[in-house]
Amino acid sequence: MSARKIPLRLAVFGAALLLLLFFSNDFGLIDIQKTSIVTAVAIDAGEEGIDVTVQIAVPKSGSTAASNVTVKNAATMMDAIAELNLKTGWYPTLVHCRLILLGEEAAKDNVFDHIDYFLRSQFVEDTCLVALCRGRAEKALSAQSPVGDMTYAAIEKVLSSEAQQTGLVSVNILREFSKGYFGAGESSFLPLLTVREGAETGGSDAGSGDANAGGSGGAGSSGGKAVFEASETALFLRGKQVATLGAEETLAFNLADTDTDLAYGNVTVTERGEPVIYSLKMRIGKKLLKVRAEGEIPVLCFSIRARAQVADVNRAGSAHEVAQSSIVPESVLRAAEETFRARLSDAFSKAKESGCDLFGVCASLQRFYPKLWKKLGKEALALTKPVYDIQFDTMH
Amino acid sequence: MKLCVRQICFLFAAILPVTRLLVYPATLTFWAKNDLLFSAALSFLLEGTAVASVLFAASRTQKTLFQLLEENFGTLAARAVYLLFALFFAFSAFLPILEQRGFVLQVFYENVPSFLSFLPFFLVSLFACTKGLRSIGRAADLALPVFVLCFGILFLMAVTEGDYTALLPLFSAGTDILRGGAFGLPWYAGGAYMLFFLGNFRYEKGAAGKIMLAYAAGAAAVLAFLAAFYAIFSDIALLQQNAVAHLSKYATAFTSLGRIDLFFVFALTLVLLFALCIPLQLSVHCICAAFSCKTTLPALAVNALLLVLTLLFNQSYLEIQTLITQKLWIVFAVFAVLLPYVSVFLRRKEKKMLPKGEKYERT
Repeated sequence: MSARKIPLRLAVFGAALLLLLFFSNDFGLIDIQKTSIVTAVAIDAGEEGIDVTVQIAVPKSGSTAASNVTVKNAATMMDAIAELNLKTGWYPTLVHCRLILLGEEAAKDNVFDHIDYFLRSQFVEDTCLVALCRGRAEKALSAQSPVGDMTYAAIEKVLSSEAQQTGLVSVNILREFSKGYFGAGESSFLPLLTVREGAETGGSDAGSGDANAGGSGGAGSSGGKAVFEASETALFLRGKQVATLGAEETLAFNLADTDTDLAYGNVTVTERGEPVIYSLKMRIGKKLLKVRAEGEIPVLCFSIRARAQVADVNRAGSAHEVAQSSIVPESVLRAAEETFRARLSDAFSKAKESGCDLFGVCASLQRFYPKLWKKLGKEALALTKPVYDIQFDTMH
Repeated sequence: MKLCVRQICFLFAAILPVTRLLVYPATLTFWAKNDLLFSAALSFLLEGTAVASVLFAASRTQKTLFQLLEENFGTLAARAVYLLFALFFAFSAFLPILEQRGFVLQVFYENVPSFLSFLPFFLVSLFACTKGLRSIGRAADLALPVFVLCFGILFLMAVTEGDYTALLPLFSAGTDILRGGAFGLPWYAGGAYMLFFLGNFRYEKGAAGKIMLAYAAGAAAVLAFLAAFYAIFSDIALLQQNAVAHLSKYATAFTSLGRIDLFFVFALTLVLLFALCIPLQLSVHCICAAFSCKTTLPALAVNALLLVLTLLFNQSYLEIQTLITQKLWIVFAVFAVLLPYVSVFLRRKEKKMLPKGEKYERT
């Protein structure tokens, strides 16, 4: 290649690349009047089939409002989407869908009866958040949030990766939820979303068999700001909800097995005959879940190392104590270890009794002990013995 | 000489690996599950030895395949073999074209996929086909930097997101590993490509080593990609068509910027475009050699044929894929693996140096 021709060739190449980029986005032709941008989908059990509510972003000058549309008694998700199109004239675009909410009743049957639609079509990114709602998902999606007009945005904040990192919520996305369902243990988990106070005054009751567009600011909301909470975790086996972890068990599960590396927790110790509550800030240094076989018994070893510092105490401390918050008394550290161990044990027992392979015992056996897995099969979880190796140290 | 060693190296290191990043990983997972790396390695081994065989032949002669066939079996047989290969290359281009059509429409055009969006490919292909083998080399020169940059970034964005224990236990798929290797052969036509580069590049000392090293680099890139792919998706890997578009979207460092990985996927699509043209170019090359004609008419004919086939089977990708991978893989085994091996055994008669003006007489 002669040196003179190099710039020309680079220019041609650059032009080709730019043309490719230019022509690779629908030629900019998105008719906003005909296309509804779905930001969230709520699925509830209907009288016959499923009730599907979608939250649609409605662009307005200077802001974006939400409009909820509900389709009742659809046989499949595809039917619901088609009916939305038929009755509203909007062709729903699901690529911007960031949230799938499942109603409590819907989770009594295999939720993959419906949500596998999103895996088939791939119109929804599998990074989409999935959560279970206490009560009807439709009501949660209709609740008016104090954070903004879009309810989905408020729920998304509650289920954010920041919330996950602090251990308050066990966040899950469609990909991970599906991997659990199709995996060896056929188990997974979802955050359990609860709408607190005032929220449930709203709602978009579209009427049976109809698809109605609701108003802006949360369809049909009649006031009352909603606060969303997702500190509990729903456990799933073969797509059905089988148990629920409380807030403290959720925190223990997160500290042991998810991306949580910094969390706050309370520990109660007795000082001078009085119960004193220490709020600890915990930083997880090491977490390791390992499955080993002792004969034919699977053993799940939790190995966790954490450092803690005092964030607050429910009694007035001396100036010396306040200044040395990063030094945690030995008795508090041991109490923290014991509390954590107890909560983790509760979480494990609850999962084991319900048959949910929350900690991936079956997957580990299948990968590292295939013969034992073949022999024990689904009984493996019931036979699993937990071993806890938890050590807390002071931050400084 | 139409090609040089560097360009062949780039072809194996940068262009051919890209063709294995769309539907191939999911297809492989369907058969070999967590042992997909072994199936892929098997296919690479078969293709690699085919390429090595042709390189061995190239080290001993500067003649083209046509000349070798002509000397061994006569002109008619040479023309017949070239015609068969022309059909094979046109056939081998069919599945990748449907594959890329699905990729472009599904990944890039979010709203109303229109087949018209993909039709311009045939214009590019027509142009490339009229330019002959030399344009393959030029495309390879362009493709390497794009591939290295884009694949490198996409892979780095994906590599930390997976759980690599998902690849365990090894060899659990048993004989399905062999099935995966065999059914994956439609993505491994490199041996046949090499056969037609014979005599079209100057074999120099160390060329075989360089080409095989480039081949190994391309294979390593694909294997690493497959490992990351299965580590990320594990039990739902077989649902992930168009793997390259999905693998890097989980990198949290760039979440606030949106899907910036798509920029690199777009750029890799350009390399895919070159890759798609190669079998069509070789098909035209074979027809031209068989009929001793210019490229224009065969290029029009081959592209028109593929265009009609693509229109006819526009909505039948799954059926075509099933037919080609599960039934017609044997065609690829014969043309892209077996026949390149056979090339080693062709007798090489050296031409006598004839006085100027005297006609060469075939012996």
